[in-house]
Amino acid sequence: MSGVVLVADDDDDILLLVTTRLKRDGFEVVSARDGFEALALAQEHKPAVAVLDVGMPGLDGLEVLEAIRETQALAHTRVLLLTAKAQESDVRRGYDAGADAYVKKPFSPAELAERVRSLYDPGVL
Amino acid sequence: MASWRDRTSELALLVGGGLTALYFAVPDGAAKNSIYGLVGFLAVVAIVWCARDSVPWLLFAAGNLLFSVGDDVGAGFWNGSPPVPSVADAFYLAGYPLLAAGLVLLLFKSGSHRRTAALADATIVTFAFLLVQWVYLLDGILASSDSTFTIAVNAAYPLMDLILLAGLAGFFVTGAWRTPAFWLLAVSVMLLLVADEVFALGSYTSGEWIDSGWLLSYTLWAAAALHPSRRELSEPSRRRYQRLRVSPWRVGVLMVALLAPPAVLLIQHLRDAPLHVWAIASTAAVISVFVVLRLTGILRALEGIRARERAARADAEQAQRLLEAQNERLVEADRLKDEFVALISHDLRTPLTSIMGYVELSLDEPLADETRSYLEVVARSSQRLLRLVDDLLFVARLQSGRLEIMPSRLDLTEVARQAAQEARGRADAKDLELVVDTNGDVPVDADRGRIFQLFDNLISNAIKFTPDGGKVEIKVAAGDTARLEVCDTGIGFTEAQAARVFERFYRTEDAVERQVPGTGLGLFIAHAITDAHGGTISAHPRDGGGAVFRVELPLAT
Repeated sequence: MSGVVLVADDDDDILLLVTTRLKRDGFEVVSARDGFEALALAQEHKPAVAVLDVGMPGLDGLEVLEAIRETQALAHTRVLLLTAKAQESDVRRGYDAGADAYVKKPFSPAELAERVRSLYDPGVL
Repeated sequence: MASWRDRTSELALLVGGGLTALYFAVPDGAAKNSIYGLVGFLAVVAIVWCARDSVPWLLFAAGNLLFSVGDDVGAGFWNGSPPVPSVADAFYLAGYPLLAAGLVLLLFKSGSHRRTAALADATIVTFAFLLVQWVYLLDGILASSDSTFTIAVNAAYPLMDLILLAGLAGFFVTGAWRTPAFWLLAVSVMLLLVADEVFALGSYTSGEWIDSGWLLSYTLWAAAALHPSRRELSEPSRRRYQRLRVSPWRVGVLMVALLAPPAVLLIQHLRDAPLHVWAIASTAAVISVFVVLRLTGILRALEGIRARERAARADAEQAQRLLEAQNERLVEADRLKDEFVALISHDLRTPLTSIMGYVELSLDEPLADETRSYLEVVARSSQRLLRLVDDLLFVARLQSGRLEIMPSRLDLTEVARQAAQEARGRADAKDLELVVDTNGDVPVDADRGRIFQLFDNLISNAIKFTPDGGKVEIKVAAGDTARLEVCDTGIGFTEAQAARVFERFYRTEDAVERQVPGTGLGLFIAHAITDAHGGTISAHPRDGGGAVFRVELPLAT
């Protein structure tokens, strides 16, 4: 386990936005552009926090979340979901799948960084 | 006046009956003859007086006038038993065709000539009567040793009676018998026929009881003309004539007609009189043909009704299928709309995320003042765009189903304060005074997010519509209900507009003219949220300009 933050989003611009903001706050960031890459990076880096976009092609954010929850080695990874869907039912599905936080698009990068910081706790390592 | 006019028919019956009684009371002589003449004359005057606008009734009047003249001629020349033939016969025989023509004209006017069923029934009755006439009158007359002229005159009466009966039967089966005027007319003709038949059967002497038949016939004819229901006889195809029901009278008359040939046969056989085989057989044959025609007509009408029924059922099924297909298309359209909304939701939010996020990142950088102010405009516009997208999606979802709410216990005062806090920046920018007037906790069970959205909508509206330097006041209080009021000193609206502000996409002309930004969705959403919580929302214009929006929600128990 490391102090790495994993960010996954299929939209390059948003991926860059989030990584830029988090790096500026001093986080070490690895970024993925789809669900499979995200899962591979998660197993490789064992991140403290994973910021996952829900609407990704292939393996979507919820499926990556489920895979992380099923992996013993990633038991301490906190997961924050990003979604462009505003329905309450999606939020509930996210929490049911074991998400620690939920942020709707569009979001304020400063607020997102704040949420990541509150989830980031290298002390549990 | 009206009641007097309605009663002229009965008056005529009274006068005619009285004169008839008087006729039998006075001894033979000029007075007796004058009374007879007076009855006929009065009847003609009565008919002409009240029915002069109707050709059939003028024909009846003319026929009766000829009868009356015949009476006078007969009475003037021969006291007691008149010779046969006489000059009087010329008048009498001229009268019948006029009466018959009148009946036929009336029939045509009532439109019943188009009813083949009625004509068939009338023919059956007429032929039955013809058989009786033939066996008991005509055969004897034709076989007599009188001169041909005498025979012709004598035979003419039964034939004339036949014509009258045919006309009457035509009416009877049309359903005209339901009017009193027809009854008076029918009894009049029947009396005439009976008197004629009795006259033809034996020797007649003036002053005999059968005179009452002719006298009352005049009277009833006049009474029929005077009766208010007379006009209904000649009114074409009235509904009640069209919907013929099976009446016992109609069935009875037809029954008697059908039984005539066997009855005549039996009577002749029992009397040991000539059987008139040809007459009875041919009458029975003619009647049978018409009975079959009638049956065919009835069956065809039944088939027609069944065909119409089938067609109607097929039409209904077709309509049902169309409706189902339409419904399927609507359901499909609804599903497509939902998909579209979800897609738009995602596709609009993703670029907005980039725009708003990068603007925020940029604003963190050291920037020239000008550049900063430009980026702030972009940030504000993005916020507005986001709000618009949210509103549209909200409404789209509202239309797909009821608004979902997740209620929890909350304090309206606290939510109002928070909403006001969020709006303070916008109020300050317009130099508006934003006052929150609260009075302790106001507990409700409601969806926190929705209630916040509702308050935010109302406060944002108030700020939007209030010119710089104005005042927006937010009051929260608990009474019978939890009450929130948002008052402003803005452009306001009229009472008429107040009733419409909660409609979807509704915007007052004033709002459009002043280019106040908005879609007309905010208040529609506010209304939907209040509704979903079992509350009410109302808009009121304020004296001196401005508006008051009042929300009332059930207090938590």
